[in-house]
Amino acid sequence: MNTLDIAERAAKRAGPGALALVTRERSLMLRFAASRPTQSTGIDDVTVEIAVPKRGNVGRASTNEVDDDSLADCAARARFAAEAAEATHDGSFPGFEPDRDVAPVEASDPATAELDPAGGGAALADAFVEADAHGVEAHGIWTVAEQDQAWATEDGGAQEARTDAFMKVICIASNGRSGYASDAAVAVGQLSAGALAERAALKATRGGEPVELPPGEYTVVFEPQAVGWLLDLLGETAFNGLAHAEGRGALAGRIGELVAAPAINVSDSPTSARTLPRSFDAEGTRKAPVPLLQDGVAYGVAHDVRSAAVAGAVSTGHALAPGGDPSGPHPTNLVLAGGGATDEGELCAAVERGIYVTRLWYANVVRPKETLITAVTRDGTFLIEDGEVTRPLRDLRLTDSVLSILSRAQALTRDQKLTSDGEFYGRRFAYGVVCPAMRADAVRFTGATG
Amino acid sequence: MRDLLANLIDSARARAGYADARFVRSRVERLSTRNGQPDQLDSGESEGIGVRVRVGGAWGFAAVRGTDRGDAQAALERALAIAEAQPAIPELAALAPEPPAHGEWANPVARDPFEVPLEEKLAVLLAADAGLRTEPGVNLTLARFSAFRTEKIFASTEGALCEQLTTECGGGIAAVAVQGSDSQIRSYPASHGGHVAQAGYEHFLELELPGHAPRVSSEAVALLHAPACPPGRTTLILAGEQLGLQVHESVGHAVELDRVLGREASYAGTSFVPADAIGSLRFGSEHVSVTADATNPGGLGSYRWDDEGVEGRPVPILREGVLAGFLSSRETAAEIGLDRSGGCMRAEGFDRQPIVRMTNVNLEPGEAGDLDDLLADTGEGLLIETNRSWSIDNRRLHFQFEGEAAWEIRGGERGRMLRNPSYAGVTPEFWGSCDAVCSEGAWQLISLLDCGKGEPGQVMRVSHGAAPARFRNVEVGVA
Repeated sequence: MNTLDIAERAAKRAGPGALALVTRERSLMLRFAASRPTQSTGIDDVTVEIAVPKRGNVGRASTNEVDDDSLADCAARARFAAEAAEATHDGSFPGFEPDRDVAPVEASDPATAELDPAGGGAALADAFVEADAHGVEAHGIWTVAEQDQAWATEDGGAQEARTDAFMKVICIASNGRSGYASDAAVAVGQLSAGALAERAALKATRGGEPVELPPGEYTVVFEPQAVGWLLDLLGETAFNGLAHAEGRGALAGRIGELVAAPAINVSDSPTSARTLPRSFDAEGTRKAPVPLLQDGVAYGVAHDVRSAAVAGAVSTGHALAPGGDPSGPHPTNLVLAGGGATDEGELCAAVERGIYVTRLWYANVVRPKETLITAVTRDGTFLIEDGEVTRPLRDLRLTDSVLSILSRAQALTRDQKLTSDGEFYGRRFAYGVVCPAMRADAVRFTGATG
Repeated sequence: MRDLLANLIDSARARAGYADARFVRSRVERLSTRNGQPDQLDSGESEGIGVRVRVGGAWGFAAVRGTDRGDAQAALERALAIAEAQPAIPELAALAPEPPAHGEWANPVARDPFEVPLEEKLAVLLAADAGLRTEPGVNLTLARFSAFRTEKIFASTEGALCEQLTTECGGGIAAVAVQGSDSQIRSYPASHGGHVAQAGYEHFLELELPGHAPRVSSEAVALLHAPACPPGRTTLILAGEQLGLQVHESVGHAVELDRVLGREASYAGTSFVPADAIGSLRFGSEHVSVTADATNPGGLGSYRWDDEGVEGRPVPILREGVLAGFLSSRETAAEIGLDRSGGCMRAEGFDRQPIVRMTNVNLEPGEAGDLDDLLADTGEGLLIETNRSWSIDNRRLHFQFEGEAAWEIRGGERGRMLRNPSYAGVTPEFWGSCDAVCSEGAWQLISLLDCGKGEPGQVMRVSHGAAPARFRNVEVGVA
């Protein structure tokens, strides 16, 4: 199955101005719980999306059938929708102008694309052995995928194949304490199930009775996984060009202002060495590095064609769907530049009494314009005393503004890590945030959890 | 397709202890307007076959698009290979027994939403959007329509062969007002996509979106100037969507048996509810009875058979505050010794395997009359109806929610509107503080359209029936 061929056939049936995006997913995911395999899913599917602009309105239709009749029917549905809208109003969509000379990125690994269930089974077995050696049980997923994506208009298009691999291990001890470790990469060979299980197990078995802290403000050392969550929430609340253009975004009216600590430099860098790279977005627009926060100053936001038209800007290559996702554009390759600390231990060294956070969970935006979010800590929350991690903490609820946390950032580790949650709703779309660990002062916690 | 599935199951019978196959054809239409202009004009169709096998103790599932016989056979081979490649585990208990499902079922639809001309649907949305823009100071107006159709055929090695067709339809409106660093939103009839029912186009029209639009936008702007919800402890009345979400997050998810047994620890989480607590765990006050009922007309959790062929039926979850049952599958039910699955296995589409899900998890009505009666009986407190944000820990114990707006209750009547009304609690304490639930006449089904669970992720649409309920001594103003 050649996705570019399908995209070109679809675009021809949709006519002038239309764009077709074709995404084929071949994936395998193995789940495990209590050191036993539980569920496993193999998927082979394709999604053809056709977007037809008419007088500024975009009709869109999708199918997973790739024969000519089905593509023609799909194109007709998109066209009818655009024509129905055209009859009522002129829209503001300016039309697709994809970049035809984009070179595909090197983002595919043949071994990963084999989707070998035996390799997955061996990874699970390694994790179970390591967990057992530490007297804990392993829970998690191992997953690999190949995503072949192409876009086309009547004048041709482009194609790119990507692979991704992800494994997470949560080890749970008999006393209920848990620890987390995960890795994401282009190549499955870069994942080490045993090493992940060991890291998770060491957190789950760290000694001492859990301490409960009262609500209040604490100095926090966030591991990269937690920093990645915070930054991804900024993607929704601050860097979304549509919300920005409509005055709802957290950076609306604040471009050029200091909104974070001067050490904070955030960009969307789709070809960064450690990210899950991609060369074009869902509208065929070239993905290029976009500075978002520079030395703590609000610098820019992400756009697709639609939000750019509303803002009077140009697309930065962040469309999630041809014609624009209803929620707006979203950065998919966020990178937070590292600092000077050697590791998390050095970040802790300056803390007299604080909290060590491995990861955040169930984060939800409370008030988007304030970047106020709430989330709970999970799978490795510890007390820092006199510069060292000492005892497990009962998990806590964090309720604070992400930009405020970044404005109170005190130090960052030198090394960065690709963090991802391996969450794959709908057609698989692997993405992550490259970031260091971070220490921030006066982070607000509103209660205990767990 | 029946023949294809039957042949597939025949091939699987000799090679797996159990196997089932589902054909699913899905159709969706989403339309919206934004600031007075058509915005989302989407339609989608997909079809394919998912094959699930149990070999030894391990499950394998593989899905392939389309209806090709050879591709379906390849999916079966893939499912078997996946199951066989996993670390060996002892044979698990047999699945809870279930008579093979046979027959056909479809929910009633007065007017097929997919046959209504696009222009007619857009006209309703544009009228509603125009109504939202009558209020100066509104930055963003949205009006939405959505319709879903799902055809399923299910077959299993135990002889099941059944077909179902569901049609769902609904919509909603929202207005966002911005001033300085504050933004406020009001929605009708619910946030997060509005209200959808298992029904036809008639349900979308019954929502009367244009008629509610001026009030919604007026409230969005008024919220910018409303006093903030003060921190403290007070009596809280929850109604509508917010009560439905409270049931969903703190009761529904907490009694999913896969979570209780630790199977979802790596993602959705576990539960504070022990597996052996039926009949002994006090979950709430004597006013709190909850039933999971897959037979509610119009509910998004309604069906004749779940996605492993178990007939849907009412399952008691809480009776007068005490745990009475779980949401379960054939595997999890057998594991704790239940006679029969609760019939709660649902899959998002052909390319996802069924997992334990909510049906319609309903708070049973009480005897407190209607909302006005409850307000009058309450005297002083706070009323929250529409949700803005939610978060709960992975054991479903500690939660924090915020509504779009709250109303003070003063002198037994609805008083001033307050902005940013958050509240927090601990599940059994919160439900233990419930001292009144309104009567059957005030009971209604609300819908939640984006319940995420499973890996790979599955989004499920569910409904919850409830009548307004009162909770004492709740911590508010926490965010």
